[in-house]
Amino acid sequence: MPALFPRSSNRTIRLTLAAAAAAIVGIPLALMAWVRTPAITGQHSAPAQPIPFDHRIHVTGLQIDCRYCHSTAERAATAGIPATSVCVPCHSQVWRDGPVFAPVRHSLATGTPIPWQRVNSLPDYVFFNHAIHVRKGVGCETCHGRVDQMARVEQAAPLTMSWCLDCHRGPERYLRPVEQVTTMGWRPARPQTDLGPELVRQYRVARLTHCSACHR
Amino acid sequence: MSNDRHWWRDLDELLDTPDFREALGREFPAGAAELADGMTRRSFVRLLGASIALAGVGGCFERPRERILPYVSEPPESTPGLARHYATSMTLGGYATGLLVESHAGRPTKIEGNPDHPASLGAAGVYEQASILQLYDPERARAPRLGRGKSSWSDVGALLSPARLGPLVGARGAGLGLLLEPSASPLSSEMLGRVREGYPEAGVHFYSPLGSRASDRAALTAFGRALLPQYDFRSADVVLSLDADFLAGVPFSLRYARDFADRRRIAAPTDEMNRLYVIEPGLSVTGGTADHRLRVRAGEVESLAGAVLAEVTRRVNAPGTRGGQGIPGDVASVISGLEPPPGHREWITALARDLDAHPGRTIVIAGERQPPRVHVLAHLLNAALGNVGRTVRYIESPLLEAGAPSHELAPLVEAMRGGAVRALLVLDGNPAYTAPADLEFAAALRRVPTSIYHGLYENETARACGAFVPSLHYLESWADGRAWDGTASLVQPLVAPLYGGKTDAELLAALIGDSEAGAHELLQELWRGHMAGTDFANAWDEALQRGVIAGSAASETTPAWRWGAIGTELAGTRARADTSLELVLDQDPSVYDGRFANNVWLQELPDPVTKLTWGNAALLSPATAARLQVATGDVVELAYHGRTLRVPAFLLPGHAVDSVSLRLGYGRGAGDEAVADGVGANAYRLLTGGMAHFGGGLAVSPALGDDGAPLRERLATTQTHWRLEGRPVALRAALDDYRRNPAFAEPERGRVLSLYEPGTGSGDQWAMVIDLATCTGCSACVVACQAENNIPVVGKEGVLDGREMHWLRIDRYFEGSVEDPAVLMQPMLCQHCEKAPCEYVCPVSATLHSPDGLNEMVYNRCIGTRFCSNNCPYKVRRFNWFDYNAEVAETERMAKNPDVTVRGRGVMEKCTFCVQRIREAQIAAGIEGAATGEVRTACQQACPARAITFGSLNDPESELVRRRAEPRRYAVLHELGTVPRVQYLAAITNPNPELPRGDGGG
Amino acid sequence: MATAVGSGPAQFTDRLLAPAWTPSRVWWVLFGVSGAGTLVLAGAVAYTVATGIGVWGNNIPVAWAYAIINFVWWIGIGHAGTFISAFLLLFHQRWRSSINRVAEAMTLFALVNAGLFPLLHLGRPWFFYWLIPYPTRMGVWPQFKSALPWDAAAVATYFTVSLLFWYLGLVPDLAAARDRAPGRTRRRIYGVFALGWRGAGRQWHQYRVAYLVLAGLAAPLVISVHSIVSLDFAISQLPGWHSTIFPPYFVAGAIYSGFAMVLLLLIPLRRAFRLEDLITERHLDNMAKLLLAMAWMLIYSYVVETFMAWYSGNAYERYTYLVERPLGPYAWIFWGMLTANVVVPQLFWWRRLRVSPPVLFAASLLILAGMWTERFIIIVTSLNRDFLPSSWHFYAPTWVDWSILFGSVAFFFLLFFLFLRFVPMVAISELKQQRHEASAAAAAVAAP
Repeated sequence: MPALFPRSSNRTIRLTLAAAAAAIVGIPLALMAWVRTPAITGQHSAPAQPIPFDHRIHVTGLQIDCRYCHSTAERAATAGIPATSVCVPCHSQVWRDGPVFAPVRHSLATGTPIPWQRVNSLPDYVFFNHAIHVRKGVGCETCHGRVDQMARVEQAAPLTMSWCLDCHRGPERYLRPVEQVTTMGWRPARPQTDLGPELVRQYRVARLTHCSACHR
Repeated sequence: MSNDRHWWRDLDELLDTPDFREALGREFPAGAAELADGMTRRSFVRLLGASIALAGVGGCFERPRERILPYVSEPPESTPGLARHYATSMTLGGYATGLLVESHAGRPTKIEGNPDHPASLGAAGVYEQASILQLYDPERARAPRLGRGKSSWSDVGALLSPARLGPLVGARGAGLGLLLEPSASPLSSEMLGRVREGYPEAGVHFYSPLGSRASDRAALTAFGRALLPQYDFRSADVVLSLDADFLAGVPFSLRYARDFADRRRIAAPTDEMNRLYVIEPGLSVTGGTADHRLRVRAGEVESLAGAVLAEVTRRVNAPGTRGGQGIPGDVASVISGLEPPPGHREWITALARDLDAHPGRTIVIAGERQPPRVHVLAHLLNAALGNVGRTVRYIESPLLEAGAPSHELAPLVEAMRGGAVRALLVLDGNPAYTAPADLEFAAALRRVPTSIYHGLYENETARACGAFVPSLHYLESWADGRAWDGTASLVQPLVAPLYGGKTDAELLAALIGDSEAGAHELLQELWRGHMAGTDFANAWDEALQRGVIAGSAASETTPAWRWGAIGTELAGTRARADTSLELVLDQDPSVYDGRFANNVWLQELPDPVTKLTWGNAALLSPATAARLQVATGDVVELAYHGRTLRVPAFLLPGHAVDSVSLRLGYGRGAGDEAVADGVGANAYRLLTGGMAHFGGGLAVSPALGDDGAPLRERLATTQTHWRLEGRPVALRAALDDYRRNPAFAEPERGRVLSLYEPGTGSGDQWAMVIDLATCTGCSACVVACQAENNIPVVGKEGVLDGREMHWLRIDRYFEGSVEDPAVLMQPMLCQHCEKAPCEYVCPVSATLHSPDGLNEMVYNRCIGTRFCSNNCPYKVRRFNWFDYNAEVAETERMAKNPDVTVRGRGVMEKCTFCVQRIREAQIAAGIEGAATGEVRTACQQACPARAITFGSLNDPESELVRRRAEPRRYAVLHELGTVPRVQYLAAITNPNPELPRGDGGG
Repeated sequence: MATAVGSGPAQFTDRLLAPAWTPSRVWWVLFGVSGAGTLVLAGAVAYTVATGIGVWGNNIPVAWAYAIINFVWWIGIGHAGTFISAFLLLFHQRWRSSINRVAEAMTLFALVNAGLFPLLHLGRPWFFYWLIPYPTRMGVWPQFKSALPWDAAAVATYFTVSLLFWYLGLVPDLAAARDRAPGRTRRRIYGVFALGWRGAGRQWHQYRVAYLVLAGLAAPLVISVHSIVSLDFAISQLPGWHSTIFPPYFVAGAIYSGFAMVLLLLIPLRRAFRLEDLITERHLDNMAKLLLAMAWMLIYSYVVETFMAWYSGNAYERYTYLVERPLGPYAWIFWGMLTANVVVPQLFWWRRLRVSPPVLFAASLLILAGMWTERFIIIVTSLNRDFLPSSWHFYAPTWVDWSILFGSVAFFFLLFFLFLRFVPMVAISELKQQRHEASAAAAAVAAP
């Protein structure tokens, strides 16, 4: 009777077995890598905004401090999306009539808010408080990146839990003097390795790695 | 890893819901849809804030749209993410209780007590706290109704206008009837005055199903005026309660519980404490706290009170004894005739001797349920014991027309039936449901050509009325009220009306032709008059901020005794009441008179003594049950004065023999209130026109189904076993035993052998002490916890399955004989063990220990193995068997606390020591660079008895550390070595050494 | 054994493979029934996952119930196979050869069922992988102090090894099936799984080594798996669970129920396929003896834990063992369990009963039920009345609980019937070898 299998089937079966073994190891690894990519974390995503507000002009150009608009960053959990009226003082002089500025005019006219798009979003079971971070010397830039160079604001950090823990486990590596919190592109005058620990002592920064620090 | 759509923290997701938009749409035509945005929320806050204390320009919330613009800029006093508190007050049973309401981004989320208000002193009861849910109840009426169809305020307002109403009811208003709830509100009084100007002959009536107004009648008899006794429990050594549940069931309970507890909290064995005697039929919260409790049929209280008075006067008038008020001979002779019923003589004598031994430092208080004669006896006892002017003071009753015939319902019903009432306006209440059955109120109501109901719901009464006007919840209204002691307080809105509606004052204004009047203007107008001479604007703002109007408490008056009337009244005192089976009707500790029956928190709140949820039952003593051959769960038929009612029986140890008590407020139906519909049995069907809340002649028989088989019903209790099995769980000692052996709790505390060195860390180390000596079991803490921590309800089925979610429960144990046991109340919550058994068994580290000593529960990490619950010896962990929050209405979600994660399905949850409050305080401290300030847990805050103390072990100054040092401190299940951070102070009772140590509390 | 029916090796093989070629009517019926039952399981599981485990009877305090009971029960049953294959092989118990195939298959199917429950009983089963130690994006690991991650690991390992062991043993017979199967397609399919086995001496040599090595690996697993499962309870401080005797106690119980299940399956097979000459009275006798031995190990455990509860003087232990179990609301289940697990096996003191298939069948059935109720007693009666009387609460299963229990039994049999249909149900090659050696020996003796 004819052979059940061609000669090649020996190789085929070996390759199949090898592939299976590879898959068992490879697929989990691939998944682990994948969930860390921006595709999943949303890092670098920059949603379109109702107004093409350009931080480069306002921060780099006009040297406006972050806190002028995001005024509650030092007091409250949220940094605060500026009220329409915050735009007015300057924009009653410049750029009053540009079509770009129409949403602001509309907002002021009708009292309806400007529907900004959220950029940095945390899961709802995470309780993040801007004030305490700012007061303990965590720079805006540390989490939000070089906003001064962003034409359209993007999510600078992956915002994963391990990313948070990275700082919570070793804050001295990221802290800066409170006066420098809003400075963009700040570089420590002396090595962070001896500035950091000093700030940690000075600001009495604790390594908060217990769950209820963020989850309540 | 959040694919669980039910996690939400902030309003962003929440407010952006069709239901709410619709609700807001009416108030904020502009920008309602954008509410998800931070900025609008601020303007939202602002325009609501405008209605509130600091803004001082209230009323503008009525027309928010134009108001938004000025506030598009950031309002200074409201920062998103920071909660604010505003003062207001809630009126229940005619009297106001001052409250502080927590508001997040413009939505009231939690109700707390107002420390500046005499009726609260910072505490809040179950009704007050749960009323937040009523505000957001999706079943509240949303629009006026004329006849069958929806209508508008302008139409109904027009109907009320003198032009339309005048011809109908006659120029002098003879055909006009008004039915209100008893009220002490100056504004209501003012508005009623104006109505009377317009319609001099209009019939104004007040009706409350609870209380027979016996106290007023008694006062009229004894003093000729409706005087209201004010009790000072702080200076009372001995208290006798004649069927009065003053620790939980009366308008001033919060205050009384506070004062009473202050005399019961003993730091050292040498301290003195008060002694409480209670004579009552059913087992009440007060009765459970008693040192000596005499369980008798409600009808016997009278004769016993008489006997006590006889005994007391005998001793007071005896030569050589210093007593109080002398009692004229003729009355004294009547009194001396009052003999104690056999069997109780010893008890009465001992009691009398005890009372007499503390001249001017005792209180005798009579229950509203008891007939006027018992109240008169109480007045006389207080007089004889020299309490008047010391522990008992009299003021003019703050209630409008107190004691006047206008408080009788029967005459009105007569007039209605006779056709004399052409138009009837019913403000609040629900008489069609609560009126005595034999009055046939609903039927009479249909005889009235024009009937208008004004209330929160389209309920039984609304259904029987031709027209309907939704009323505003007090958190949406401008109004005022008076507390039990006469202190006036203001009611101010925290949120723009969700569904629209009118306040009582506005409705009454419409009656005199001003249908556009705003309550805010009316109120200011009134108080501008009262506050004449002062800088009104400032005085007003201050009143709004403090929640009370300074110095408005009623002044004391000295009663003039009408001995003649008293003598004749007492002459009728029966020595022994009839011995037939007795029915006793109770105010319900959860749904009150039925008005809260649509409130899921309260429906699921276990009754303090029966632990029954979702319904009522015929409570009777085991002995009586045995005689009647009924068991718990058997449906029985109660036949009383020709009416019958089917209700399941429930055996309650400690209940009086030959007496059956039944809670009012259940068996609702025929209305929009879907939650309330059909829960329990309607006890009002057995209430008779005489408003007697108890009476003999009850017949009990097993109810049979159509197939002739006896009916049974499953009763949802949260506790199925009530013996301690001799386990060291709830410790308790009599005062003299405690003095003899102060270390009796020693074996249940201190170190246990362990391989690991125990070590309290540095910094904040949170812990709690609960004093079982002062805890009454009133359950205010349970509701506080539920409101603060977004705890879901599971429904009757859930409770039956043993799945209730309360993080803090109150365990109720009986000790001693089944017939007449002692009652032990023990709040049980996560003990935050330093060596927590739950922690090491969790495979994913979802429950861990924080450096400041909290046993943390991380919902978003939990995968729901439930191993932690199995290994928890206290069984305080709760599991989300279903997605309980999926069923919560959008509006109700607005009551959720945004600082606490709303748990999804399949995760474990439990008490967190209000970690959100702790972290908030720590962050605030961190920002200031200061040490953590005082943190108060929700349960601690609500507790009227201040039985709960919370703080840091490392703060030597703290009250916590002080109380932990007391010798009666112990840890539940100490031997397990879990080292709980929650520890208890053993209950101490103060029995009269002259009396045998009966189980009934000694 | 002298000359058995179907004398020559070829006929022998044919006879044992026959059922694989021609499905009987009975087979279809059984297949249909167990298939229907499996659908019930699928339905109940889908309903549970969609709605939440609130559809079960579980509550607080009884947070674990049927799911965990079934899990422990199936795991226990899954012990016999590997015990027979590994231990008996290592101890040169040749009689094992005629039953090990069935036993191993049974083990695998039991484990498949057992594996279902730990996942299903989770509040959020879709996060089951958090039990596995891998570098997460959250930067956190499972907690190794808990028994559950070890549990997952142990069960997974045991399943893998059992599978390999079974498959390895199958290879030569699959080859035989390949050579005899009617039709090219079937031959090809068997061929693929036979991995090109040709029965060459070298293959046999390597095969034996590998088989022995796997046996060596599997043997300790038999002990470890149920020991670790028992820790799910023993590490707690709950009266009724908190006991050092649990690991050996659980292993004994496991093998006990395992053998009962083997008998339950073998006895009908023996009849149906006329295997009396392979599964002889000796087999029945040995297994009955094993049952008896295991029963006594259990009895010892029962006695010891009850005695310790009393001797410890601990009020809570005493209540659970001396009040709740013998007198509590579940007392009838407790006494039923004792009857099935303690009284029934005493029949096996008599050889006549040890070799009587009907008696063995009935006894096995009772013992399996008894072992299920034992887990019920351990779990439910420890939880429903623990430390605080205030939290005591009754537990009652719902229809979903029952559907899942019976569904999983049906699923087990579905798999088993498929096995009978497509896989050689006895270790043909081993038996042939033994027959050969036996006849060789006989010849040697015959030769003067």
